[in-house]
Amino acid sequence: MDKIIITVLGKDRPGIIASVSKSLYKMDCNLQNVNQMILQNQFAGFFVVEHPSHLTLDAILKQLEVELVGQSLKIHADILDTQVNSSKNGSNNANSNIKAVNKSSVKGNDKSEEEIFFITTIGPDQKGLVARFTEIIASYNVNVVNLTAIFKGGDEPTANIMSYQVAITPDTDQAGLFRSIRQKEAELGLDISIQHKNIFETINKI
Amino acid sequence: MLNSQEIISTIEMVKNEHLDVRAVTLGINLFDCVSHDLNVFKKNIRSKIVKNASNLVSICNAVGEKYGIAVVNKRISISPIALVGAPFSAPQMVEIAHTLNDIAREVNIDFLGGFSALVEKGIAAGDRALIEALPEALAQTQRLCASVNVATTRSGINMDAVLAMARAIKKAAELSKSDDGLACAKLCVFANIPQDMPFMAGAYLGVGEADAVINVGVSGPGVVKKAVERAIEQSPEIDLGKIAEIIKNTACKVTRVGELIGREVAENLNIKFGVVDLSLAPTPTVGDSIGEIFQTLGLTSIGVPGSTAALAMLNDAVKKGGAFASSHVGGLSGAFIPVSEDLNIAEAAANGYLSIEKLEAMTCVCSVGLDMVPVPGDISEETLAGIIADEMAIGMINNKTTATRIIPVPGKKAGDKVSFGGLLGEATIMNVPHATNKDCFVTRGGRIPAPIHSLKN
Repeated sequence: MDKIIITVLGKDRPGIIASVSKSLYKMDCNLQNVNQMILQNQFAGFFVVEHPSHLTLDAILKQLEVELVGQSLKIHADILDTQVNSSKNGSNNANSNIKAVNKSSVKGNDKSEEEIFFITTIGPDQKGLVARFTEIIASYNVNVVNLTAIFKGGDEPTANIMSYQVAITPDTDQAGLFRSIRQKEAELGLDISIQHKNIFETINKI
Repeated sequence: MLNSQEIISTIEMVKNEHLDVRAVTLGINLFDCVSHDLNVFKKNIRSKIVKNASNLVSICNAVGEKYGIAVVNKRISISPIALVGAPFSAPQMVEIAHTLNDIAREVNIDFLGGFSALVEKGIAAGDRALIEALPEALAQTQRLCASVNVATTRSGINMDAVLAMARAIKKAAELSKSDDGLACAKLCVFANIPQDMPFMAGAYLGVGEADAVINVGVSGPGVVKKAVERAIEQSPEIDLGKIAEIIKNTACKVTRVGELIGREVAENLNIKFGVVDLSLAPTPTVGDSIGEIFQTLGLTSIGVPGSTAALAMLNDAVKKGGAFASSHVGGLSGAFIPVSEDLNIAEAAANGYLSIEKLEAMTCVCSVGLDMVPVPGDISEETLAGIIADEMAIGMINNKTTATRIIPVPGKKAGDKVSFGGLLGEATIMNVPHATNKDCFVTRGGRIPAPIHSLKN
C-alpha cells in the first residue's frame, strides 16, 4: 500500500495536530509517523499516513482542506517516495545553488560507516553565512544531516549559532573539509568548533 | 536530539573552562626485559617501550582532534625499576635513568615515570641502589620521574626509608642547584601509592598490571568552578548540599569525557584500557585553578578557616561523580593542591593565607599531599624526614594515598621567589618553623607499626 506524506504549515497555536489527526482518523487513515517543528512562531507538521485503498490522494487532500477550513493552514500531500534521491534531483539545502549529496551518490557511503561531526559556529550574524558553509561542505561531497541556525543578533553566544551535523564517510577528505571550514574562522570573525558527535552525547546524555 | 544549549555548554567547557584530558599514560610492564647484563637490559627496555609507544603521541593527537579536546600530556609509566633492575648497582641505575630519558625523547613524550621503589616494609638491594641513584639520576635527566612508596596502611611506615628519602631529596636539590632544586619536582614519596595512576611525578605501573595498559587522567577545575559560579549566580542562597550535587554532576560529565578518549586511544593502540583518574589538577593558568574554586565557594582564599571542610566536600563530590560515570575509576581521583602549579594557591601561600601546617591539615581530606612545596634550602634532613613522616602517617592511618613532593631550594630562604617553569609553575618559598632542627626521632629508624585497622583478615 502506498503511503502518503502530509505537510501542514501555519502559525503555531494549540490544536493543529489534534485537528489534522482527527480528520485523518475520520477518513480511516492510519498515522505511522508524526513529527513537528516550530521556527519562531511558525508550525510545520509532517504526517506519514497509510490510507484506505478507496481513497485517492486528491480525495484525502480535499477532505482535509474542508475540515481545516478557516484555520489559516497550508496543507500539502504527496505519495511518500521511499527511494533515496540521487544527487541530480535532490537537494538537502535551502540554497538551490548548492550541490546536494545524498547517501546513495557517495561511493562506499554505507550508513554504518558514517561518522557524524558537529561543525558549530558562534559569532555575529552576517548575510550568506549558511550559504557559504553549506557550499564548502557540499564541495567535499558531504551530507548535512541536520542544521540548526539561530540568529538573533547581539553578543549573547546562544543568540547567534549555527550547528551543522555532517556525515563523514571513509571516502571523505576529512582533513581538507575541516581545514576549509577553519579557514573561515578569522575571515568571518566566528568561533568555529569541529567535534565528533560522541563528545556531545557523552557529556549531555547520561 | 541535542539542543543548542547542550552544544554550547559542551563547547564552553572545552574552549573557555579548560576541560582537557590532562594525561594519557601508557603503562608498560618491563618484567620480561630483566637481565643480569646491563646492556641487554637497556636494549630490552628500549625495544619494548618503543614498540608499544611509538604511535602514542600521534594517536592521542588524532583522537584529541576528533573530539576537539586536547590531550595535553602523553606519558609513559613503567614497572618499578628497583624491581626489574634489581641486580644493578647505583651507578648502573643512573645509566638506566639516562636510557629511559633518551627513550622518552625518542618517542616524544615529556615525562616517563617508574624510576620507582616499593619499600614500605623493607629495603632490598635493588631498592637501595635506586634510592642511592635518585639524586644523580634526576639531576642529570629531564624527562624521568621517580617515586618511592615508604608506607602503607597494611605495613606501617618504614622510617629508614623516610630518612633515606629525605637525604636523597636534599642531595637531588643540591645537584640541581642551578635550577633551584628542580630535580626534586620529579620525585614523590608516597604512602599507599596507587598502581594505576596516570599523573606524574608519581605514575608507575604496578606489579599486578597487564603487559600494557592505557590510563587516563582528566582534569577540569575550571569546569567545576564555572558550574558552581553559575549555580550561585542563579540562586545566591544555594546551600552546600546543592553545590556538592552540582560538583558531582560536573565531575561525572568530565569523567565520561576521559573514558571516551581513553578507550579510543587504547583501541587504536590495540592495548587494554585501564582506568580514568578524575583529579582536579590545576595549572598555573588563570581559570584552571583549585584555589579559585575555594573563592567561588565563599572563602577569602584557600588556607583560611573553612578550607579543609571545603576541600573535603570538593574531593568527595569529585569521587562520587567519577564513580557514577565509570566503573573503572582509579589512580588518585580527587583534588590536587600543588602549591607552585596553581597560581591561586601560590598567591595564597605568598600572601600568608596558607601555611605549611594548614596545607598538611588539608591533605587529610584531599587526594594527594604536600605537593610542589618549595621550602628553604637549609632545611635539615631531619626536619624534612619529619615532614615526610607526618604526611605518611596521615595516609597510613586514614587508609588513603598521601605523598610529598617537597623542593628544598638551595641558597634561598622563606619568602624568596622560585620559578620552575612551564606547568611546574612558580611560588614563594614557604616558611617551615624550626626548619634547621636536628630532631633524633626520625633517625631512630625502624618501622612504625601498621595501625590496628590494618588487621582485616
